[in-house]
Amino acid sequence: MIRVGRVFAAYLRAGVGVMLQYRGEILLWAVWGLVNPAVLYAMWSAAAESNPDATAAGLTRGQFAAYYFVIMIVGHFATAWDVYEMGYLIRTGRMSPLLLLPVPPIWKALADNAAYKLTTLLFVVPMWLVFAGLVSPEFDTAVWQLGAGSAALVLGCLLNFLLGYVVALLAFWFTKLDALGEVYFGLGMFLGGRFAPLDALPPPIRWAADVLPFRWMFAFPTELLMGRTTAESVALAGLAVQAAWIAVVLLALRRMWSAAVKRYAAVGG
Amino acid sequence: MRRALKLAWLFARVSVQNVAAYRFDMAARGVMSLLHLGAELLAVWTIYSNTPSLAGWRWPHLLILVGVYRMLAGGLRMSIVPNMRRVLDDIREGTLDFVLLRPVDAQWLVSIREFVFWRAADVVLGGAVAVYGCVHLHGLVPWRAAGLFLLTLLAGFVIVYSVWLMLATLCFWFVRIQNIEMVFWNVFEAGRFPIVIYRPWVQWLLTFIVPLAFITTFPAGILADDPAAQVPAAAPLLAVLIAAVLLAGSRWFWRYGLRHYSGASA
Repeated sequence: MIRVGRVFAAYLRAGVGVMLQYRGEILLWAVWGLVNPAVLYAMWSAAAESNPDATAAGLTRGQFAAYYFVIMIVGHFATAWDVYEMGYLIRTGRMSPLLLLPVPPIWKALADNAAYKLTTLLFVVPMWLVFAGLVSPEFDTAVWQLGAGSAALVLGCLLNFLLGYVVALLAFWFTKLDALGEVYFGLGMFLGGRFAPLDALPPPIRWAADVLPFRWMFAFPTELLMGRTTAESVALAGLAVQAAWIAVVLLALRRMWSAAVKRYAAVGG
Repeated sequence: MRRALKLAWLFARVSVQNVAAYRFDMAARGVMSLLHLGAELLAVWTIYSNTPSLAGWRWPHLLILVGVYRMLAGGLRMSIVPNMRRVLDDIREGTLDFVLLRPVDAQWLVSIREFVFWRAADVVLGGAVAVYGCVHLHGLVPWRAAGLFLLTLLAGFVIVYSVWLMLATLCFWFVRIQNIEMVFWNVFEAGRFPIVIYRPWVQWLLTFIVPLAFITTFPAGILADDPAAQVPAAAPLLAVLIAAVLLAGSRWFWRYGLRHYSGASA
């Protein structure tokens, strides 16, 4: 365990170094994560203001501003790109040296992920503040919601990373799986509450969102952090569901990983 | 002129033959196009189950915009995007030399070398959605509007081409900028919805500084042929003007950049 910790710290330092080298590139990726919620905020606020009671799905313009401000932050911290990268690593044979190391490659993926988020904070935080300044969000957050929401945020990021990694492992069987990555991202977008707050989803989509894990990655931490989840019992139950999903996904990950390594056929040596 | 067109036709034919060799991949991409469109239709459904109108745009209007957006995105990825990516690679690796040595206009040649045939699926599907929205509004496609629409759409396409050419030309000075296309997609994302949803100053910005309105909102609004879409009457004329100015400007900039090209590999 201590060894894994030291390796992780080394990976993290190396990861930050690489990110700083490509700062222009990651800046553009990070901006991408801001444009989408900003556009959706504009759309939903127009929708709310077109209704006679000036709300849509029970949210006013100011609440949509708060929702998408938090979604922007949650989306940034929850980003994971292994679904896209794994196929590439395997097709080009870059996976082979990683498999020879005494620490499973997921630790490198996790370190790179954390490095990206740490480095990009330098420019996304100012942009978040500018967005907040422009749209004047209306928060209703108590201190306990901020605490519980932060915990939910961490669990949500972990869940997205782990589930994304499990899906990415399918690349050991099907080397080209770019399409699957897009489907996974799309599900997170719709069923996770990034495109629209869950209350705005029409019934069949809403049911799918309730059953699948995506809402626990994005919508749940967001609703807590903006102060829309008012009952402490709901918050606690949500945290428990998040933990349960993480446990399930971890189990799946263990089984998938051992099967995947056995299945591994080095491509392009 | 005839030779130039023949050359474009030849490149297109070779590209189609290349893709046809991988039929399963082509089928898979067709399915992806359908899924993308499905997601966009789900989005429209979600929006209008919460509100009857989006700053005046009702669902058939937005459906037309979704179709136009898909047509444009497909058309861009069919020709402009792959060609410009190749120019960036060529400039970085010095292989642009082979283009410059050919007895054809270099700008023309770099603009026609790639042709991703299966993206036509997006153009067809998007067109079908736009026509459906139009028929729902009027019972038919109004011909005058359709003509103006095609004109504006073409102008929009030229605008995008010119912007991409200018972005690619920057590569003569800043060699490592493959990700410059992210700048384009970031802005293009804002065109998914009619610009009337934005605040006045953002609308102004997206009309006159970054002419995004002329690329998606105005063509869709013209096809909808409905005052609810709030398209200024002068939009087609302005679109053609802007396209002409940008096309000329980008050509000048490209030739100016070429003079700075020294062959990166040399």
